[in-house]
Amino acid sequence: MASKLYTWLDSRLNLKPIQKTLLDEPIPGGASWIYVFGSATLFLFALQAVTGMFLAVYYAPTPDHAYDSIQFIESEVTFGAFVRGLHHWGASGMVVAIGLHMLQTFLYGAYKPPREAMWMAGVVLFLIVMAFAFTGYLLPWDQTAYWATHIGINMVGTVPLIGEFLMKVMRGGDTLGALTLSRFFAVHVLFLPALLMGLIAVHLFILRRVGPAGPWTDQRAELRHEAFYPRQVYMDAVVMLGVFLVIAALAIWLPFPLADKANPSDTSFVPVPEWYFLFYYELLKYVHGPLEPLATWVLPAIVILVMLFWPFIDRNPARNPVRRPVAIGGGMVFLFVVFALLGISLRDLYAVSRADPSVMRGKAVYAQFGCAACHRIHGEGGAVGPDLSFVGDSRPDRDWHVRHHKDPASVSPGSIMPKFPLTEQQLRDLASYMVSLKKEA
Amino acid sequence: MEPYKNEMSTEHRVEAGVEGQQALGGRRTFFGWVTGVAASLIGLGLAVPLLGYVISPALKRRDKPWVAVGSVGGLPVEQPTQLDHMSTIKDGYVETKSHKAVWAVKQAGGDITVFSPLCTHLGCGYHWDASEREFKCPCHGSVYDIEGHVLAGPAPRPLDVLPSKVEDGTLFVTYKEFKAGLAKKVEI
Repeated sequence: MASKLYTWLDSRLNLKPIQKTLLDEPIPGGASWIYVFGSATLFLFALQAVTGMFLAVYYAPTPDHAYDSIQFIESEVTFGAFVRGLHHWGASGMVVAIGLHMLQTFLYGAYKPPREAMWMAGVVLFLIVMAFAFTGYLLPWDQTAYWATHIGINMVGTVPLIGEFLMKVMRGGDTLGALTLSRFFAVHVLFLPALLMGLIAVHLFILRRVGPAGPWTDQRAELRHEAFYPRQVYMDAVVMLGVFLVIAALAIWLPFPLADKANPSDTSFVPVPEWYFLFYYELLKYVHGPLEPLATWVLPAIVILVMLFWPFIDRNPARNPVRRPVAIGGGMVFLFVVFALLGISLRDLYAVSRADPSVMRGKAVYAQFGCAACHRIHGEGGAVGPDLSFVGDSRPDRDWHVRHHKDPASVSPGSIMPKFPLTEQQLRDLASYMVSLKKEA
Repeated sequence: MEPYKNEMSTEHRVEAGVEGQQALGGRRTFFGWVTGVAASLIGLGLAVPLLGYVISPALKRRDKPWVAVGSVGGLPVEQPTQLDHMSTIKDGYVETKSHKAVWAVKQAGGDITVFSPLCTHLGCGYHWDASEREFKCPCHGSVYDIEGHVLAGPAPRPLDVLPSKVEDGTLFVTYKEFKAGLAKKVEI
């Protein structure tokens, strides 16, 4: 059936040459599992595009509704949390895949002539992906989003002469508000995807014109010339499935919660950027005062320029890593610095236990509705209901608490506890407080 | 810089394809099969949740609340009166106010009938003609009597009666919509 349809279409559209061009591309040295990172990145981009389109079905890019619409996706739309989870973890996955892809390109010296332009397009693609991450982070309009973007834009302000102006352009005025959100949204869903697709086309066009680089020794490259299909396609497909399963598992088991709604007056909030910006966030802690612009824009600008023009800086014609000690050594030092900063930052983040503001609000709700009349916490309160001192240990499930406080009889049949008229926010805060009541805390 | 020679001649490309086919034989089928399965699993893993994601609001039934529309005592007997039906409905993540006007008729015996304000033909709003004592739809000329029976025009069924109840002298109505143009009353 399918082959009949293909024959029919081929007799009219002359598809065979296209199929040959797409599938019979020779891979020097044969197919390899090391060549899958580019396809994995492309797959993740497709996943981001699809999940992004579906998120846009419910999302509203205005400060009035952005947060509520994401909350609606999270709590009321079937598979909503899963789709948002795929988009969130897909973004992280894309950064990882690009990192590995660039690492492999660097290690194999695949950026050397005649592939300089392909490398440069790749670096720009990487920067566009970072811009995707930065603009996407603001869209949920929660506290994390608001304050992290606030800081990100302020960094731009330290650029001499044009910093102030750039900042205003990014924000669409003097404050981070409605205009900022809608322009970040437009850039995230319209401008950047168009740019990215154009550059992917350029990147792949160059690849097809000059061919894949293959192994770094010519002898090994000459061993065999295998076509792209079927073995490389099979490897790419297996890796894509693996990547999809990992992202789906993360989306299911590591949900990405919303913080509280953005509140410009609450300056106590400590924003934490996404993990792939953490090394940079850590770097800023070491540079203060007049040297600050060095870290906020001089160093990043130098790193980006070096990356972009790297094929022209590294003039060593050898591709074998053993014969490129300076480039490989330099690359290792760079990676070491980045990962050391990331490591320090992660250690600091998880060492300090931060007071969760929603726990404090939950405590206030507990007091406001007179829960202590029936329940006892650490010796205070009545003994009509169960003692809640360590309820977080016996009932760690937040959703159970939300359901329970909404309608106690629904999860505890026969409960004499009355329903309380709590708002969604109060229910979540109270659940945070209940779950925080643990022995170690 | 000297011009770079393309490593692969056209001849070589053709050869590569043929070599691949011959050398792989049965394995070629296996690779194709695994590729197909992987692609299908990803496709299925996305299609099911994404489809559910899009259609879920369509499958949700909204709670239709009882709304107080006025006191029973104020209604004139056998004189249809239009009453405001105001309610707050949740439209996705936005709470919106819904404002409808329903027709209430106090019958001679004191029973109250509440009609949907939409003509059963195509959903136009109709009015009460007090001199002829008939409900008249201006669009296509449907005419109903005070009990909602069709007297003339294309209306396929009597006026739709809305659920109503009286508690402590206050009239409560639940607003519903029904498909237009059918002989049977089918709730939307």
